[in-house]
Amino acid sequence: MSVSDETLMAYADGEVDAATRAIIEAAMRDDPEIRRRIEEHRALRETLQGAFSAVLDEPVPQRLIDAARGHDAARAGNVVDMASARRAAVDAPGRRRSWQPVAMAASVLVGVAVGYLGWHGSNSWVKTNSSGELIAGVGLAEALSNQLSEDRSPGLVAITGLSFRAKTGDFCRTFSVTGAHASSGLACHEADGWKIKVLAQTPAAPNSSNFRPAASGIAPAVRAVVEESIDGEPLDQAGEIAARKQGWAATPSR
Amino acid sequence: MSTNESAETIQEQIVALLPRLRRFARNLVRTPHDADDMVQIAVERALLHLDQWHSDARLDSWLFKILRNAWIDEVRSRGRRAKLFMPEEAGENIGEASMEREIDRLSVEAALARLPHDQRLAVSLVLVEGLAYKDAAEVLEVPIGTLTSRLARGREALAALLRPPQGDRS
Repeated sequence: MSVSDETLMAYADGEVDAATRAIIEAAMRDDPEIRRRIEEHRALRETLQGAFSAVLDEPVPQRLIDAARGHDAARAGNVVDMASARRAAVDAPGRRRSWQPVAMAASVLVGVAVGYLGWHGSNSWVKTNSSGELIAGVGLAEALSNQLSEDRSPGLVAITGLSFRAKTGDFCRTFSVTGAHASSGLACHEADGWKIKVLAQTPAAPNSSNFRPAASGIAPAVRAVVEESIDGEPLDQAGEIAARKQGWAATPSR
Repeated sequence: MSTNESAETIQEQIVALLPRLRRFARNLVRTPHDADDMVQIAVERALLHLDQWHSDARLDSWLFKILRNAWIDEVRSRGRRAKLFMPEEAGENIGEASMEREIDRLSVEAALARLPHDQRLAVSLVLVEGLAYKDAAEVLEVPIGTLTSRLARGREALAALLRPPQGDRS
């Protein structure tokens, strides 16, 4: 009798109903070929159960544990409440609310930014304005306003990565800074200049040749915020030039 | 159970699932570091959307699904932003590393990595992670028939890759 390989596979995986099982078990008794095929499925299943099992014994990186716990700040528990609390704290009255994820990430990374200001003092490319918001320092602001993403000339203050229009209508750009305190972040051009939405330290990569930092130094937290806040596709070079020409002034949301 | 308590409980359940999320992610992306980045993105998204999780659904399946979607976004982003986000990868050749290993024996992991995405995900969820067909289909957002046919094709390909060159198996 012929039993389809998919059915034999499902039998080996314990995924068939009682009636089908009875049919297959009867067929197995008569047909050594069917027994062999089922054995093959089971053997492969066992082989794969062991695949990547080493990773289960590895210590889980602390950053992942922190992420799962809402970055320690979640001690108080309810994440949804935390998000709204952050939104309330970050959003000035009347501001659009689409920055929820950004607000969350930004508050997560405040510690990093504070550390940054500590390292670099007031000459930093990141500074706080009178309302206590993080803004781009002179050099970074200049790079964000003028530099195209293709520009990788040596000696730049920052490399600008991706430019896009956010759901708020503001233009935003990722940037990365190399050096001892390599970092990446996202800045958005608002009415009063470039505001830093997220800033994250780039994890130091071991100097092994087969190990490279993720995604050209753009931290996952930054990428996550980009994914959450981007409206449509990122700007291409022509789009960047056009945005630059209009001084990165916000365009109305679609 | 209050909302506060349940959010905290879920966070601890997510912590407990991190080893499995890391394992699944290694089936999706090439380097362990990138895999952990994917896990981090997925976990951050899960916490943002915790209200979308229904406690009668399996938390692991829900997280696998978020991880898979995060990976799809990543793949799409890489396509459109290759130059911006992944310059180091230009010219990188995965073939080399797996060729070396093949000299001895193709490892299960390397064999899995050669499968097309669809098949690899089906195999990974059912055979590595031990999900039921129904749950795996749900993670992949496909009908169960699609899942079983991907799984069958993936198995067939794997069996061929893992088969010793001299027909005789010891």
